[in-house]
Amino acid sequence: MKILIAEDDPISRKLLQKALERSGYDVVAVENGKQALEALCALDAPRLALLDWVMPELDGPAVCRAVRKRTEQTYSYMVLLTSKDTKEETVVGLESGADDYLTKPFNVEELRARLRVGERILLLEDRLVEARENMRFRATHDPLTSILNRGAILDLLNRELHRSQRENKSTAILLGDVDNFKRINDSLGHLVGDEVLAEIARRLLGAVRSYDFVGRYGGEEFLVVLNSCDPAHGPTRAETIRKSISKPIMTTKGPLTVSMSLGVLQSAEWGPRSLEELLHGVDAALYEAKAAGRDCSRVAKPPANSLLPAPPPELLRHTR
Amino acid sequence: MTQLQSHSSEPAWNLPELLVRVENDQELLRDLLHIFKEGFPPMLQSLQSALAASDWKNVVAISHKLHGMLSNLAATRAAAAAGELETFASTGDHGAIRGILARLEQETTNLGIEIDAYLNGVRA
Repeated sequence: MKILIAEDDPISRKLLQKALERSGYDVVAVENGKQALEALCALDAPRLALLDWVMPELDGPAVCRAVRKRTEQTYSYMVLLTSKDTKEETVVGLESGADDYLTKPFNVEELRARLRVGERILLLEDRLVEARENMRFRATHDPLTSILNRGAILDLLNRELHRSQRENKSTAILLGDVDNFKRINDSLGHLVGDEVLAEIARRLLGAVRSYDFVGRYGGEEFLVVLNSCDPAHGPTRAETIRKSISKPIMTTKGPLTVSMSLGVLQSAEWGPRSLEELLHGVDAALYEAKAAGRDCSRVAKPPANSLLPAPPPELLRHTR
Repeated sequence: MTQLQSHSSEPAWNLPELLVRVENDQELLRDLLHIFKEGFPPMLQSLQSALAASDWKNVVAISHKLHGMLSNLAATRAAAAAGELETFASTGDHGAIRGILARLEQETTNLGIEIDAYLNGVRA
């Protein structure tokens, strides 16, 4: 494990460095508080730190305070080293954000034991962060396909629509529906249906740019958000996606050919509309693609007036 | 370092304690002693200059650093003198400082002699 030693006294620094290297630490040694802060805020920074209290440039408590202000970073376990050993000074040191406190001259075994405490706390922090990230992923992703779930893709779409309006750009919204999916479930079983959905999600992800978004909108419906997409390119991208889906999918019951119908909407052509209106529009275009015989895409045209005459999306979905 | 008469017959440093601190690593010990021999004279000179200029902030900073350095070498009496200098300089009680400085100079002179003897393979 990497550890930072910030100590201006060369004897103390050398003693610490040797003792910690013997314990298997990868030591980064610096001579003042400014260098310590730089090292602790760098990419791949040491997460364990031994900081002398009195140092040139910045003292140990000031380094602790500055590190604690950076909330976006992973936790650093910081131990203050000093000859100051009154209760008041201990309080000042710990209040500055230090995790522990060791008086000089230090006892090597005590130092190692205290650093092991630090390692245990960092390990615990790693586990907590991992658990939080897993929960966050589960809250925003579809468990079957691992792509964004409906809530998350709609949030991102809403954000992108606002951004494209601010920056005078266009966002393309693609709503795709797997054709005759019910037949797959009915004839080959739901497990094969799940395999098909998972593979379609993979293909959709492979067909878009790294900064585009793909989400599961409903049962066999997928929503694709293409950021900063030239209005002329939306239909072409929809066709590329449609063709990528039409290649045979290997399932446990053998290869299967499926198709997808898509509705395409370019936000720039629709002007400032609500998310609901745009979803309504792209859903109507998808309905047109279904009505045209499926396995094709249709572009949503904005209505002449601001109100769309079509029925609500839920009603359209029942007719497919 | 100038050789002065010691007030104490006790060694200027606690070598057994220092050996424990370096985990009996003789090479490390020699490195530390060389660092001290090179680093201490300019620090003492800076301390004397700061005192002469009544630059108390600097006196506090240098004596603090000396206290840490000497404590690490288990030079208890010299470290205590440096610690007293720091305290007296920071509390504004400057009357006793000249006497403490003389004690620090004497203790570190004795320490220097013992370090040289150790490095030459002869324990004083």
